[in-house]
Amino acid sequence: MVSVVGWIDDYLWGTLVILGVYGVALVLCILWGLLGAAARLFGPRWLQPLVSLYVTVFRGTPELLILLIFYFGSAVTLTAIGQALDPDIRYLDIPPFWAGALAISFIAGAYLTEIFRAAFLGVDPGSIEAARALGLKPLPLFFLVRAPQMWRIALPGFGNQAISLIKDTALISVVGLEEIMFTAEMAISVTQEPFVMYMVVAFIYLALTTVITSVLRRLERRANRFQEVR
Amino acid sequence: MGLNLDLILDTLPRLMSGIGITLGLLVYSLLGGLVLGSLLCMALTSKKPWLRATARCYVTFFRGTPALVQLFVIYYGLAQFPILRESPLWIVMRDPFWCCVLAFALNSGAYVAEIMRGALSGVPKELGEAARALGMRPLAIFRTITAPLALRLFLPPYGNEAVSMLKTTALASTVTLMDLTGVARTVVAQTYAPYEIFISAAIVYLALAWIIGRLITRAERWASRWQEAGVQS
Repeated sequence: MVSVVGWIDDYLWGTLVILGVYGVALVLCILWGLLGAAARLFGPRWLQPLVSLYVTVFRGTPELLILLIFYFGSAVTLTAIGQALDPDIRYLDIPPFWAGALAISFIAGAYLTEIFRAAFLGVDPGSIEAARALGLKPLPLFFLVRAPQMWRIALPGFGNQAISLIKDTALISVVGLEEIMFTAEMAISVTQEPFVMYMVVAFIYLALTTVITSVLRRLERRANRFQEVR
Repeated sequence: MGLNLDLILDTLPRLMSGIGITLGLLVYSLLGGLVLGSLLCMALTSKKPWLRATARCYVTFFRGTPALVQLFVIYYGLAQFPILRESPLWIVMRDPFWCCVLAFALNSGAYVAEIMRGALSGVPKELGEAARALGMRPLAIFRTITAPLALRLFLPPYGNEAVSMLKTTALASTVTLMDLTGVARTVVAQTYAPYEIFISAAIVYLALAWIIGRLITRAERWASRWQEAGVQS
């Protein structure tokens, strides 16, 4: 157990890498979710089957497989393009950080498409009509009336995705991202203590999910502050 | 850049050879998860505070950490203990297949326990009270009233859990198992055609997920066979 002390700084750096991937993926997945929901609700008809396909494929395929497709697929494509431009190029790839962040953001985005769509439809039409009757223009109507009510409905589902997303970051070690799984591997090769080193990884993730859960609970309380107390 | 269709057709039989392990992992993990989940659910709703706290810690740990990390703790981690290595259990535990089953079942148990607890708490208390007033025994109340009603609430989220477990079995490929994803990774390493092979594998997973969905829908229909026609709950 004492052996962990020498590796604390490496675990810390690994945690920062995880948080970096998480931050990028979180922003992107909200973007994909909003775009998907908008396409579902207001998009032209030819777009509907494409959005359905996106949601079905990314929800029904193993996360690991999607990550492998993104990482190795982008490598093959980039290498082919690179070689067409300059025959001396041997191998090109997207760094695991970006390929990983992109892959896990698309997975969460598929779930968020459905969550945001349902939230949009769940807003009481009466309040929209009331706002319109009061003469609110479309833009303030969206930001002052629709968005806050949508957010309240979408939050619990969004929270589940935010937690799955942090757990998905562990997969990116499989394509070579140097985060805490990698730190554990290095530490094990020196100390021969796999149980201890992987348990440290588990507790780092547990700490991260605990923090995210408490942030979400705060957000939910804030989003519901105008609700009547029942 | 076109997709190489011949390559897909050539590798499809090889991919199929991985389905057996994927399904084996799925079935054993789900069964293990159901047994463990039932026990944990009893512990979560128990009257003994220490039992409730222990079960709560278990569920929090397994739901709050990535399945990949859990698998590595079990597959690589348990070998650290000489006591385990010398015990007869080691014959089972050194096999990556059973390591995966153990890890996935422990993981599924935590989710199943929460789903069961939710389903049981969704059954109106008054029904049980009425049955008690009629003089029914607790076990009979559970078997004939609470359980059948809770089953209807249990099945839809359990279907999601089963599909999620199917996706989790892909992690087995990281500990050398030749499941669907494992075979696909080997073929890609040989042919370097990631799109063709991985997308074929993805289609097989989607088909399996669809079948699971159909089975659960059937089970749901069976569980609500006493519902009046046209009444949706």
